[in-house]
Amino acid sequence: MRVAVLSFAHLHAATYIGLLRDREGIELITADPEAPPGDPTRGRALAERLGVAYADTWDEVFAQRPDAVIVTSENARHRHLVERAAASGAHVLCEKPLATTEADATAMIDACADAGVRLMTAYPVRFSPAFTALRRAFAEGSLGGLISVHGANNGSNPARSHAWFADPELAGGGALADHTVHVADLVDALLDGEQAAEVYAQANSVLDDGGPTPEVETAGLVTIRYPGGLVTAVDASWSHPPDHPTWGGLAMTCVAEKAIVEFDAFPPLLGGFDSRTGRGRWEAGGVDLDAAMLDEFLDAVRTGRRPSPDGEAGLRTLRIVLAAYESLRTGQPVALPTG
Amino acid sequence: MAELEVALIGAGGIARAHLPAWTALGARVRLYAPDDRAPALAREFGATSVGSLSEALDGAAVVDVCTPTDTHREVTLAAVAAGAHVLCEKPLALGATEATEMADAAEAAGVRLYPGHVVRFFPAYARLRDLVAGGALGRVAVARFTRTGRYPTWSGWFADPARSGGILTDQMIHDMDIARWLFGDVVRVHAAQQGHLTAPAPEGAVATGTAVLTHASGTISQVVGVWGPPATPFRTTFQVSGTGGTVQHDSLAHLDLRITGAVSGGPAEGIPAGDFGESPYVTQIREFAAAFAGGPEPRVSGRDGVTAVRIAEAAAESARTGRAVELAPGTTGSTTVATKGIEQ
Repeated sequence: MRVAVLSFAHLHAATYIGLLRDREGIELITADPEAPPGDPTRGRALAERLGVAYADTWDEVFAQRPDAVIVTSENARHRHLVERAAASGAHVLCEKPLATTEADATAMIDACADAGVRLMTAYPVRFSPAFTALRRAFAEGSLGGLISVHGANNGSNPARSHAWFADPELAGGGALADHTVHVADLVDALLDGEQAAEVYAQANSVLDDGGPTPEVETAGLVTIRYPGGLVTAVDASWSHPPDHPTWGGLAMTCVAEKAIVEFDAFPPLLGGFDSRTGRGRWEAGGVDLDAAMLDEFLDAVRTGRRPSPDGEAGLRTLRIVLAAYESLRTGQPVALPTG
Repeated sequence: MAELEVALIGAGGIARAHLPAWTALGARVRLYAPDDRAPALAREFGATSVGSLSEALDGAAVVDVCTPTDTHREVTLAAVAAGAHVLCEKPLALGATEATEMADAAEAAGVRLYPGHVVRFFPAYARLRDLVAGGALGRVAVARFTRTGRYPTWSGWFADPARSGGILTDQMIHDMDIARWLFGDVVRVHAAQQGHLTAPAPEGAVATGTAVLTHASGTISQVVGVWGPPATPFRTTFQVSGTGGTVQHDSLAHLDLRITGAVSGGPAEGIPAGDFGESPYVTQIREFAAAFAGGPEPRVSGRDGVTAVRIAEAAAESARTGRAVELAPGTTGSTTVATKGIEQ
């Protein structure tokens, strides 16, 4: 199977390349023609460092007829690559958020549907075995009905290393666009795709003020209400200090009728202190969620079945983000279109 | 302090927490409750039980109001009229109008009124305040507070919004007060509540609330309250992030002493566990008692109690209407009201 990683703009491009490079049966090609010229962290320089095949243009990549592509461009630049992949008959795994506008997301979904290729949105946390167990427990009814969820997806500001994350045109926003969607996607999974009804958000740019993110919010709180009555409260802030031992994390508490369940997607395996760095020691635990997500995508490509989370799941969570920004403008909860 | 005459009104859960704190400080306590529980509680802690509110108020220097919230105004106004200083359990009242009336009455009578926002006296929250006020966190961007315990089905009035204000007012007012104490004026509130929100609440009921407070300083706070299933342990957490770093707390994470493995009802049951510091109720009551005696103002004022009610009332309005509620700048600010202490 020939798989192309399109663009190195997103941090995850290198992650996916690392996971796919040595897989049996995968022929990996990469391209990053929109990289700033001379940037040693992008383009051919990165491909050579990672030891993967590199194409200089999109034309050159698509001429090789990849079976599947992974789109890791800037959020606003997903659409043209997804449409092009669909037109060439390649299945698509697209980095989240799916797009920065509903029109782009819908066009991407339609393009894939029309071309008969699969579109998957890159939400790796769904693939945590602990989350799978949580989801099964709710489905079986042993926890009773879900009453509310509060979750935090905090991390260090990605614009410190990748400036476009703080470019509203390319990223679609700041911390809210980057981090609301992961917790929202987990709730989407628990609710079997129920579209949120209403979103309220507040945000500020106190953290990194004057730093790499002058134009976007670095801290944000979002409250999401679903038609069935569930309310989800999210902290989507880039509030991990740059010298923190981890990039961040995602934790979520589900309050149900019969029990309270806490889920940690990135629990430490080991703690302690590191005298060499003078910081806390943090040895990551858990399974590799990105690898599990790629397994799902590659299996869908092989079998032709529908991957999950699909493009529609990506659109539903994007709508929450777009409503959150509308709420920031109005200072009031924003209703999402029903149906 | 030995001569301090305290009238404690009510004989429920919070009276049980306050009474030993008063006696530990050497106060003489007369107890009155309209139900039949006062004599037994008084006997247990060596206090006196009296048969009427007026008998309790007669000659009391301090009245400690530990009755259900919907009766706070009436008891407080009677205490103020009798010339006593007042410790009134939080929330001061169900609405800001009533709470303001209580604070105004105390001010006019020259007596002090303090609300029992005891969380300000819990060591983790007091230390958090020191850190934030001392600039250790730099400029604070965002904070989260959670408060989780079992649904208070043991006393029927908690579940009744007309008597307690429900989870938003009764329980989440604690962290709303803390957020305002730390980050200042609240200018916008959005809140929602779910689950079992009416009386009677059966055993096994669950309710939750979520509030987002926007402070004039720009800081944003999330407050989550849970009245959980029957076996829910009491737990509070916070996470505060600023330009100077983060601080977090989980009341169950680091216990002084943890006992496991014992059979329920067995010999280990009598061993105290958990936190061995001074009871925050004792810290609170000592600070209030000193102020009643003419000492320095405590860390929480009657007007702070009014403001906490105003924020909770805005949260309840938001939950009812589905809209964010704007609070005029200054209406939730800190004000100091000069009152005099006990005439020595």
